[in-house]
Amino acid sequence: MPASIVAQMAISGALMGLVYALIAYGFQLTYATSKSINFGQGELVMVSAFFSLTLLDLGLSYWLVLPAGLLFGAALGLVVERAGVRLALEQKSEGWILLTIILGLFFFSAAENIWGRDDRPFPTPIPSDSIHVLGVDVTPLELSVAVGVLAVMGLIELLKRRTLLGKAFEAVSVDRDAGELMGISAKRTVMLSYALSGAVAALAGILVSPITTVGPTMASALVLKAFSVAVVAGLDSGFGVVLVGMFLGALETLASFYVGSGWREAPGLVLLILALAVRPTGVFGKAAIRKV
Amino acid sequence: MLLVEDVYAGYGLSEVLLGTSLAVKPGTVVALIGANGAGKTTTMRAISGLIRPARGRVLLDGEPVGGLPASRIARLGLAHAPEGRKVFGTLCVEDNLLLGAYGRLPRFFGFRGRAAADLERVYGLFPRLRERRRQLAGTLSGGEQQMLAIGRALMARPKVMLLDEPSMGLAPVIVQEVFRTIRQLKAEGMTMLLVEQFAKTALEVADYAYVMERGRIAIEGTPAELRRDERLLAAYLG
Amino acid sequence: MWKRLFLVRGAELLLFASLAALPLAVASPYALGLLMLLAIYGILLIGLDVTVGYLGQVNLAQAAFLGLGAYAAAIVVTHTGLGLVGALLVAPTVCFVLGALLALPALRLEGPQFALATLSFTALATTALNELEWLTQGAQGFSLSRPPLLGHALGARAFYWMCVALLAMVWIAMRNLLSSQWGRAFEALRDSPIATDAMGVGTYRHKVAAFAFGSGLGGLAGALYAFNFQYLQPQSFVYELTVILLLGVVLGGRKSLWGAFVGASLVALLPNLLSNRTLFQAFSALGLAVALAAGARGLFRRTMRPFQAIAPVVATSALVVGGLVVENTEDWRKAIFALMLFSVVVGLPEGLMGFATRFLAQLLRIAPPPLPPPSPLDEVLPARLADGAVLLELRDLRRHFGGVKAVDGVSLAVRAGHVHGLIGPNGSGKSTLVNVISGLYTPTSGEALLRGSPLPHGSLVRVARAGVARTFQNLQLFTGLTALENVMVALTGVYRAPLPFVLLGLGRAEDRRARADALALLELVGLREQARTPAKDLTYGAQRFLEMARALARKPEVLILDEPAAGLAHPDVVKQVEVIRRIRERGVTIVLIEHHMDVVTQLCDVVTALDGGKLIAEGSPDEVKRHPKVIEAYLGNVGDAALPAPPAGARIS
Repeated sequence: MPASIVAQMAISGALMGLVYALIAYGFQLTYATSKSINFGQGELVMVSAFFSLTLLDLGLSYWLVLPAGLLFGAALGLVVERAGVRLALEQKSEGWILLTIILGLFFFSAAENIWGRDDRPFPTPIPSDSIHVLGVDVTPLELSVAVGVLAVMGLIELLKRRTLLGKAFEAVSVDRDAGELMGISAKRTVMLSYALSGAVAALAGILVSPITTVGPTMASALVLKAFSVAVVAGLDSGFGVVLVGMFLGALETLASFYVGSGWREAPGLVLLILALAVRPTGVFGKAAIRKV
Repeated sequence: MLLVEDVYAGYGLSEVLLGTSLAVKPGTVVALIGANGAGKTTTMRAISGLIRPARGRVLLDGEPVGGLPASRIARLGLAHAPEGRKVFGTLCVEDNLLLGAYGRLPRFFGFRGRAAADLERVYGLFPRLRERRRQLAGTLSGGEQQMLAIGRALMARPKVMLLDEPSMGLAPVIVQEVFRTIRQLKAEGMTMLLVEQFAKTALEVADYAYVMERGRIAIEGTPAELRRDERLLAAYLG
Repeated sequence: MWKRLFLVRGAELLLFASLAALPLAVASPYALGLLMLLAIYGILLIGLDVTVGYLGQVNLAQAAFLGLGAYAAAIVVTHTGLGLVGALLVAPTVCFVLGALLALPALRLEGPQFALATLSFTALATTALNELEWLTQGAQGFSLSRPPLLGHALGARAFYWMCVALLAMVWIAMRNLLSSQWGRAFEALRDSPIATDAMGVGTYRHKVAAFAFGSGLGGLAGALYAFNFQYLQPQSFVYELTVILLLGVVLGGRKSLWGAFVGASLVALLPNLLSNRTLFQAFSALGLAVALAAGARGLFRRTMRPFQAIAPVVATSALVVGGLVVENTEDWRKAIFALMLFSVVVGLPEGLMGFATRFLAQLLRIAPPPLPPPSPLDEVLPARLADGAVLLELRDLRRHFGGVKAVDGVSLAVRAGHVHGLIGPNGSGKSTLVNVISGLYTPTSGEALLRGSPLPHGSLVRVARAGVARTFQNLQLFTGLTALENVMVALTGVYRAPLPFVLLGLGRAEDRRARADALALLELVGLREQARTPAKDLTYGAQRFLEMARALARKPEVLILDEPAAGLAHPDVVKQVEVIRRIRERGVTIVLIEHHMDVVTQLCDVVTALDGGKLIAEGSPDEVKRHPKVIEAYLGNVGDAALPAPPAGARIS
């Protein structure tokens, strides 16, 4: 096996891994304000992709569908927050885990019945003929995924680290009540984070659909790997997910080649359980000192 | 400035406040004392909106605020330095202070400039905080965290400040410093409602005081009057 | 007492008698199939309830353990000569071991991360079952035949009776386990893992054991599943089944064997419910009616928030409308599960049985069993010899965090029978010192010795077992347990029965003894009357006292009290001084961290003052109070605190 082919596989795997990173980043956004994540995030990816496909079928241009899809994703994020998360957070319970799973199940079933169970192609104006860059072949489509993911994540990270709003995110996550006493509306902050997370899920759906096609199960494998990425990187490390996502993407392409395509999912899962054993707060997560 | 009228409140099914009434006039310091479980902290939480009063009225500067979310009440000019300090441990000292002024600062850009004068004021009051402005609040000692909690409340330029057990778990030397600060703020004309276990010390700074028992105000009066009350002396002042 | 026993046991007996008798009355093989499933899911859900109910963690791996158990049993009977009994032993064992292996890393996490880890395990298990074709025959499925039981071929009815018998055994074993010290420990560690460790119980060990135990039950259910269907496919055991199982546990009611059973009947009957449209319409109308009634009641009595009352009504209305509009309800089955589950989780978080038991307890006025008289204190806490010999010794102890030298070379000796005070400004290292001694932190260097032998490093459990007990500055009570149970969890030297005995119900006598002992300790701190009050409903002062009683249950040589009077009002402080004196009279050596100088002066024989992680003064309380360094760093200018009162302000009427 020539090294160049291995490199080629690793790189296209890593580019795919950025999609995992983007979905994982959606978990981090909500975790940052409320220590909760949407277990039905994959369904948001899928439903937003279907919605965007429907708009494209109606004849709208891709560049109009993109923002519409993001808005739709944000709206779904708000639905999840209202129906699944808010009450549990107010009661300081972990009921949101079950409720977001339930909402995901509902979205899945609705999508199955509204759009059918078949996989459908997703048209895009970005060409998919491969071009030769620095000795490996990549497609503009793959590159667009990378650019889109990094740009959006960079923008949101900037917002979180440099603005007062970002600090308010953190404050609400540390202590909801104390945040309220500063005049920060915990409710609105959490809503905003869920809306952002929904938009990020929609972006992931729109970017990845031309590669994977659109179908009810399109996101179930993706989201499982995003879970691994988020936990391995740590739920509070924005740039950790990028590294872990790319690493995992490369690893599983190689694993499916060397071990067998059925084992494609395995590295992520093994990596997850191993990472938990070694460093429960994630490789890039903040290690907490236990205080009493 | 702050008026609480016949407030009932509690957690879930258990009612803690059973008709509490009190008043804080502008520029005065009012102390709220009483046994554990009498409802002092619950009173504070009901005033600042962390729990919703089931009945009764809370007026801030003449405006009814009962039932509003805490963040709205905070922006109307009420600052609450909660029991246990509750600083944002994973943010640095200066970020904690900036968040104190959240209600009146721009969200995205230029908030540091707008808050500069208030930061100076707080750093002037607590020079230790200036030394540690880049340090994570969680790594401060208990005394420093208490100063940060008070400073953070001051950043909002509040009309009324609620201080809940500012001396809890602090060394005597720090307790003295906290009370020095309270006196200084009082001299500057700050209106304050103070919950305190060290009833004696609290009565020394207060203009007026309320004693709570089982969710109601049992006794009230000026510190001089309360000191004359034998029963009170025995029960609370030791 | 008898009424309670009669009602509770009678209901259980009735349940199993009717389960056993039903196949005699109903001949249809279809109905028998349903009953079989009911028994199998019953075992499965009881296992799932251990993690979901008692540990309070969302476990998404139970479907995987069902599958793994089923395949293990199938492989055993097909490829080995072990037969039915062998398979019924191997399958739970395999799942117990795999459960332990998963739990070892996964249970270091809480909440979402744990749920994610178990979800990944399910995915990994499905992948393995699909891909290990030489063993499992992969996606094409695995056929087996039901082996005979000890030479007798099992007909459907006989096999069903075997399932019911196993369910009954699991039920009894589980009840014995959960009402023992193990069950209390499970609940305690959910409320405060740190305190569970500090009370010598071993949080992690119990969690892993609980999870592995639940997984083993999953394996047992899997074996029965395999022999029931005699055909297995990997895709039967995926994520969707996991969600349905959770539906069962939550709908039935967590932390309840009856709840698991009710949930199991629901899971078994669900497919039939969906295939019959009229039945479904009737059922959803019933659901809507319940949601409306419960919501109206909740709103009226203010026990529910508006969302909690309205959301289930919306969800069940969607079911009703859907039932009228949709042609084929099977197509929408996931959405239907989702709406049902949503209504229950939001509107009835304690589940059907949680609601029913509360209701029945009120209706029948079942009194809790009476408490035994407290044991004599001399038996529970034998007086120790207070000979003044050096008991606890610290030698140049250090603990650094990065560059911060929190404890920087502290040496001191605590003598037996003394109350040894520890004072110092905030951040002087007192709490860190206590955390190092009690094993929460590992020392950077130095040694702590108890009676001359070094204390274990960095393990709360092992230090607690060595004879050092502590309380916590920020209360760490087991809030969901009663005051009595809080003490019982920590009680040492009473529980001796090994696990198999406990499962067989042979641990009751020592449990009674534990109750009497715990009551004696509650009496010592003045909480006997509140023995049955949940810790979270005690007043703040009472909670401080309960922490002391709980630490005393360790029967410690050294008791470390970390700011016991913080936040206490004057009357409680006076009472506390009295209680500490009483404890000291039992010969227990006390290390007391406190800021109330009058408390320190009244109680302490020796006081050590710390500043900046170093010892600055040591001696009798009066000596230390006069020490210039102590005055400068800690006490401050005493005159300043006692300034004359400012002139009284305007009186407010």
